[in-house]
Amino acid sequence: MDYFEPKTVSEALSVLAKHGAEAKVIAGGTDVMVDIKFKEEPGSLVNIKKLPGLSGISENGGSLRIGALTTIRDLETSAILRDKLPVLWEAAHQFASLQVRNTATIGGNICRASPSGETLAPLLVLEATAKCAFSDGEKNQPFTSFFQGPGKSVLGAKGLLTEIDVPYPAAGSKSVYLKHAVRGAMDIAMVGVAVQITPDAGKNTIQDIRIGLGAVAPTPIRAPKTEALLRGKPLTAALLKEAATLAGSESSPITDQRSSGEYRRWIVEALTRRGLEQTWKAATGKEVA
Amino acid sequence: MSVTINTKINGQSVSANAEASTSLLEFLRDTLEMKGSKLCCNTGECGACTIIYNGKPINSCVTMAADANGAEIVTIEGLANGDKLHPVQQAFIDTGAVQCGYCTPGYIISVKALLDRTTKPTPEDIEEAVSGNICRCTGYNKIVDAIHLAADRIAGRA
Repeated sequence: MDYFEPKTVSEALSVLAKHGAEAKVIAGGTDVMVDIKFKEEPGSLVNIKKLPGLSGISENGGSLRIGALTTIRDLETSAILRDKLPVLWEAAHQFASLQVRNTATIGGNICRASPSGETLAPLLVLEATAKCAFSDGEKNQPFTSFFQGPGKSVLGAKGLLTEIDVPYPAAGSKSVYLKHAVRGAMDIAMVGVAVQITPDAGKNTIQDIRIGLGAVAPTPIRAPKTEALLRGKPLTAALLKEAATLAGSESSPITDQRSSGEYRRWIVEALTRRGLEQTWKAATGKEVA
Repeated sequence: MSVTINTKINGQSVSANAEASTSLLEFLRDTLEMKGSKLCCNTGECGACTIIYNGKPINSCVTMAADANGAEIVTIEGLANGDKLHPVQQAFIDTGAVQCGYCTPGYIISVKALLDRTTKPTPEDIEEAVSGNICRCTGYNKIVDAIHLAADRIAGRA
């Protein structure tokens, strides 16, 4: 196995251009090291952990810019992130264990492109953008069109994620990230649901609604039909039930060792219902009528 | 491909070569013959391999040995001062927080990292600090007792 420690992004891109599909980018290593031991060694390993300028959280007008090498623990301990993007903070807080959060990077969680990646449903709901570097230039890619399948994204074998830009939710919005797992720590989510409600000015109806679903489709997904059903309406008990069922039908979960597909769909329904109830109450001060 | 690793472990400068695919745990145990950090799940889930890397507890089994370059590392071997055990080690003995002992080095390192940050940990701090460590002999209550005792002794309350 060849090993590279590029010193700049452009050097990293040249290595990837040359070695392409047989090269593996590694940062924190919490996923890639497991693959090396239990699956197979890549032809070459490109260690970007020490690339300068790709770590840290900064304010950018109405958004937060987060470097790809920022660790999950850095997200969790960032006061501004907790204040401005609580749904992403919640995912960072529930992420694996302290040891893993100290090492794992948000860029790694994204580029892994696992449907169950903890930060991904929140990033979809926040309508964040990925800054992707390619040898022929940079591209800003919304996360809603970033993921292409399990382990696959628009980065392909030759692109590098350098930064993400996460806009602040509209004033008055409330959000929640709910994860279903057996053991609190370390468990990969069986289902993760992110919900963000923006009420109208009078706090009587749902002006905007975003629902992100993790671990229940080949990529993390939004639930557009459920969102369309809810938009512009007050949240009644009947609407809540209909929305939860619809969200379940928008998911296409697989059966694996963690749970059956049927069970996952029930959990999507339950967590969507719970998430809508919580965010509606937090955003409007009203119970579901 | 072999990589030269220059690092500092328990205050001592170390220089050695390792294959690029080597984990930091393998580097410690097999290259440096430091067997205190334990190999268990080898996937970053059980915490038996926990070490302190630049002040933070991490799983050495899923960290590249190459990332030790330029880092400061503390392992279980670095805690005792001669024959005098570290307060966390002594507290684990005094409360009976050890059964088979395989998870113990990882626990002690996680707890040391916690008590380096605060000697008045809340129940939430304690839960967070050891949530990535698994004990399969079921000694969690005594481990929590040990953490309180160590904190009290370090802070001079006991």
